[in-house]
Amino acid sequence: MTRYLLSRLGSALLVTALASVGIFALIRLVPGDPVSVLAGPDATAESRAAIRAELGLDRPFWSQYVHWIGDLARLDLGPSYKLGGDVGSLISDGALNTVVLTLFALVLAAAGAIVASTAAVVWDKRWLNSLLSAVNTAAVAVPTFATALVLVLVFAVRFPVLPAGGTPPAGFFSQPDIALQYLILPGLALALPAWAALTRFLTESLRTELRQPYVTTARALGIPRRRIVLTQALRNALPATVTVLGLQLGSLLGGAILVEAVFAWPGLGRLVEQGISSRDYPVVQVLLLLSVVVFVLTQLVGDLIHAWLDPRVRLNGVS
Amino acid sequence: MTASVTEPLTPVPVGPVPGDPGPVRANRLRHALLHGRGRVGVVLVGLVLLLGVLGPLLAPYGPTEQIQGANLVGPGAGHWLGTDELNRDILSRTLYGIRVDLVVVFAAVPVGAALGVLLGLVTSWWPVTDVIAQRAFDLLLAFPALILGILITAFLGPGVFTVAVVIVAIELPVFGRLVRTSVRTVREMPFVEASQVVGATPWWVLRKHVLPNSLEPLTVQLAVSMSVAVFVEGAMSFLGLGVRPPHPSLGSLIKDGVRLLHEAPFFAAGPLTIVVALVLGLLLISQSLAEARRA
Repeated sequence: MTRYLLSRLGSALLVTALASVGIFALIRLVPGDPVSVLAGPDATAESRAAIRAELGLDRPFWSQYVHWIGDLARLDLGPSYKLGGDVGSLISDGALNTVVLTLFALVLAAAGAIVASTAAVVWDKRWLNSLLSAVNTAAVAVPTFATALVLVLVFAVRFPVLPAGGTPPAGFFSQPDIALQYLILPGLALALPAWAALTRFLTESLRTELRQPYVTTARALGIPRRRIVLTQALRNALPATVTVLGLQLGSLLGGAILVEAVFAWPGLGRLVEQGISSRDYPVVQVLLLLSVVVFVLTQLVGDLIHAWLDPRVRLNGVS
Repeated sequence: MTASVTEPLTPVPVGPVPGDPGPVRANRLRHALLHGRGRVGVVLVGLVLLLGVLGPLLAPYGPTEQIQGANLVGPGAGHWLGTDELNRDILSRTLYGIRVDLVVVFAAVPVGAALGVLLGLVTSWWPVTDVIAQRAFDLLLAFPALILGILITAFLGPGVFTVAVVIVAIELPVFGRLVRTSVRTVREMPFVEASQVVGATPWWVLRKHVLPNSLEPLTVQLAVSMSVAVFVEGAMSFLGLGVRPPHPSLGSLIKDGVRLLHEAPFFAAGPLTIVVALVLGLLLISQSLAEARRA
């Protein structure tokens, strides 16, 4: 296990390090200059040079890069160019909103998927399977932004029972009941495609498990089908599902950009958009690196959980 | 002198090669597409394709043509799908809008797939290039699709071409990794070793053994990727990174339609139906292919 862990960790670190150089270079290649954004159209050459020197953009590339890594290590990201305020606090505010929303959606999707697929397998009724299959296909075939907007129009405009957008004014933790009202619509819109993918996968895995010899043995011993599904088949089907869940987290974060746009949710997605359009290097490069780190970490955690739940993965060595 | 005499000698497999796909498997996939769910999918995608290709002939008005006195008119004889807030015929705009998605789905996705397959095939044979390419693919995959979209738009500006580039960048690593898995499995097979003993070059093995063996998973992924591409176009148009305003695309039409859902509930219906039909068709195709593969 240690060897497996170390090799996965090494490869994760390598990808992150490469990504940091790539992102730093890429941001500086984007056409348009933060100096002209800051200085305005009719600035003199001297004032532009002064701004350039103040931002440290006149130094060579590697010197800027090393400086940035040093800042990152000290968690002191300095002020943003354009969006106002400290980069660190801008990002941590946005990150809190996005993480709460994404985790809420993930929990909704996972819980919904476990309920739906075990129900489909335990009862195995024709109408239930057709219904689930139809809802599932609809959830995948309608774009997220369309679902989100329809949810707003139905539950916030036509029947105003839930807020149309924004984050709870008192924060997420002081008044959880009000926070929940703000989370339901964006959470549902975000969770729907992930729920569909998870349900499809888990139902399929459960069906495969039920064809295994150990299930036949259990049935022969007189253990009811429901108990086999809940206590044995589910446990064997979950490892692979966790990996799929990890992959879904990536697409949830991607989908969060759309949902945040519809629900005026001040999260990281909006920050990326604003940051790139105003050429705010300090904000954008940290955000892009953050998205790489999250991806690498979810992959790593998914692999490790998979190895922990399924000994064959870690015993067969490094893949 | 006949041409065949001057041709270089290449190893020719004698008789059926164990593990290689025979003509039976190709038939199985074709059978899946012509029956049941697969056929429904093919019909749906074919219908949308036909509407898009024949769009300019079928559309009663131009895509940006403004019709006097027809402001947010409901569906009727003159305007089958009604008109929008700028007096434009929604049916015509939808028909022209389909063409953007067709470019993205049937040009950008195959280009990304082909590039990914080629890169994955060539690099995965040697350990050094394999590590470099796989880490590069990891890196591309690490960015959520839309962040990649926003980043590429910062370089190229909004437009159909940008959407196509984004799709290529999203699909390239997906196919590169998929092909690599096939290369890894197939090269361990005894018949590959045997063909190397009789002098087959890496390129020959890749072309004759690896590629045919990976065609099935690649076809399934192609159908999945095409449905993803429809969403990416929609999402980018929705964020204002796709087609530029006066010109329609399915994504921008749905965005306008849902924005006006209260005043004109009919607006979004047409374009949304087309998107759902296209995605549903592609999903059904991918499901039926995946099922035929497992059977």
